Amino acid sequence: MSEADNTGSMTDITNPQCSYSKESSKNCLTIENFSITLGDFKAENLNLKVGDGEYCIVIGPTGAGKTILLETIAGIHRLKTGKIYLHGRDITDIPPELRGIGIVYQDYMLFPHMTIGDNIAFGLKQRGVSKEERERQAAEIAGKLGIGHLLGRYPQTLSGGEKQRAAIARAVILKPKVLLLDEPLSALDNTTRESLRRELKKLHKEMHTTIIHITHHFEDIYSLADRVVVMREGSIIQCGTVEEIVRKPDTRFIADFTGMENIYAGICTPLSNGTCEIEINGLKLYAVSDRSGDVNVGIRPEELIISKEKLASSARNSVCGEVIKITDNGIFSKIAVAEEKSGVIFTAALTKQGIESMNVTTGDKVYLTFKATAVHVF
Amino acid sequence: MTTQTKHHFSLFKLLCTGTALAAVLGLIVIFAGMILYPTPADLIDCLLSEEIRFAITLSMVTALISTFLCAVIAIPAAYSMTRFDFFGKEAANILLNLPLSLPPLVAGIALLIFFSPVLSPAGGLLSAMGINIVYTSAAIVIAQFFVNTPYMIRSLRSSFSMVNPRYEHTARTLGCSEWNTFVQVTLPMAKSGLIAGIVITWSKAMGEFGAVLMLAGAIAMKTETLPIALFINMTTGDIEKSVAAAIILLAISAVVLIAVEHYGKGRGVDYV
Repeated sequence: MSEADNTGSMTDITNPQCSYSKESSKNCLTIENFSITLGDFKAENLNLKVGDGEYCIVIGPTGAGKTILLETIAGIHRLKTGKIYLHGRDITDIPPELRGIGIVYQDYMLFPHMTIGDNIAFGLKQRGVSKEERERQAAEIAGKLGIGHLLGRYPQTLSGGEKQRAAIARAVILKPKVLLLDEPLSALDNTTRESLRRELKKLHKEMHTTIIHITHHFEDIYSLADRVVVMREGSIIQCGTVEEIVRKPDTRFIADFTGMENIYAGICTPLSNGTCEIEINGLKLYAVSDRSGDVNVGIRPEELIISKEKLASSARNSVCGEVIKITDNGIFSKIAVAEEKSGVIFTAALTKQGIESMNVTTGDKVYLTFKATAVHVF
Repeated sequence: MTTQTKHHFSLFKLLCTGTALAAVLGLIVIFAGMILYPTPADLIDCLLSEEIRFAITLSMVTALISTFLCAVIAIPAAYSMTRFDFFGKEAANILLNLPLSLPPLVAGIALLIFFSPVLSPAGGLLSAMGINIVYTSAAIVIAQFFVNTPYMIRSLRSSFSMVNPRYEHTARTLGCSEWNTFVQVTLPMAKSGLIAGIVITWSKAMGEFGAVLMLAGAIAMKTETLPIALFINMTTGDIEKSVAAAIILLAISAVVLIAVEHYGKGRGVDYV
């Protein structure tokens, strides 16, 4: 194989799953038979293709090699075997400074001895851009990210969200061919994370940059990903669109990852006043959503109220079924209930005391009650 | 509830703190005794004497040169030991740490044999080329350099290891070459530790005695650094001059300590 192709014809041979979705026609990044050994870490024969302008999210447990994958794409670590192509060009032996690939880490890595303005303009300075032009461009991108007033400050005086905006500005000012984000939102509080996530989405839309983003937050996948790559122990175990990952997931991992044990595929029919009816294998649930057609549904275990008698409640959903399993992790117990007609299995979480006082055992008939808003449609 | 928060009399605490205070008191008494031994007039005479002024200048100049040479070797060596993996790194680490626990006299005799025109081929070769090291001021620089380089490598290693390599990775992806990353990111970020390490090395060089005595000898007005001046005048019974040299060395130590405290505040400077 002399060069990475532009059409993805190689895809079927290497790893059918790990190619970009059909909508993006051009190839951006190709990783071929990637093998690397770093200390105790080892990755063997990893293959991945990322389409031009694609937003690719990488998930996986700690130690899966996600950061090493990113740093190797950036050129920090050398491959033992394998090739990396960027827009068809072999960049395997190209040093990081000549690759045109940017990286943003969770802990910002803003240079503490430089102002925010100098940090953002750092890459332009390396390219020999004049001081005035550097300052103009830094001010422009900083303004776009809402940190225009902080250019003269030093990183130590900024909040986490502001620092991460500066780090993103510093990377995107060079208009990288690929932007690598290593858990960029993980160190931030919920509100900041949400607003920065919107910012990333906007940025991706405007700049059409190819992005590979590592995350531990399922919300990032919902709102950002074109495609999801699941890694474990140095290999890619699954690859696909958000729907594919959720619909036929590596169940155990995705379940742990989302904390949403009750994930189903269903058909959604809108009703009046913003609610809808979702049919899952014959079982009808009510949710708040304006979607219609094929959807995925997730319900967190702690949203399910379990009772032996049917509850008189305002909650829209009530199902009846048989307890098939009770598991205990020391803090709380999980009760698996099979709905009586459809066989759909729900998992509810309860404290140990709750189980004891209710006196439920396997085989009991119970009711599960939950609000329409507890049914998460995606 | 009061019993748990109340501070009880503790014999243990009293003994430990008492010992610490006694040690401090001991230092004060001993050094004050030395400083106050000569009359102020005698002391000023000695400090201004030609011999002591020569010793100050020689110590300063040789220490500056040897510290500069140490830095030239220690900066890249320490960086390599911090960041890169290479064959024999473990062994190199042990060897580099060995001189730290070795008396400088031992290094001195090894240097003397190496540079001796009679005892070694290397010294013989230098001698044939007209270069004589032993018993010259160049020998002072070499002795200081040889003894202090391992200290400086160790000190700078701890400074470099405090710079997260991801700063360098980020700089590289922003278009910075390896060299420029080192100059623009790593060095400035390790600056405090580097300055502290260099200042400590300089002060150690000023005070180096054993290795200098072996390789450069104790020749009045020739290889007479401050510690050598202290030694020579002691053997000839000129205690006032010895004390003058000692007071200068003491003052330098105090200034260095303050400088290091200032630059190395909270940055984990290795005082070695």
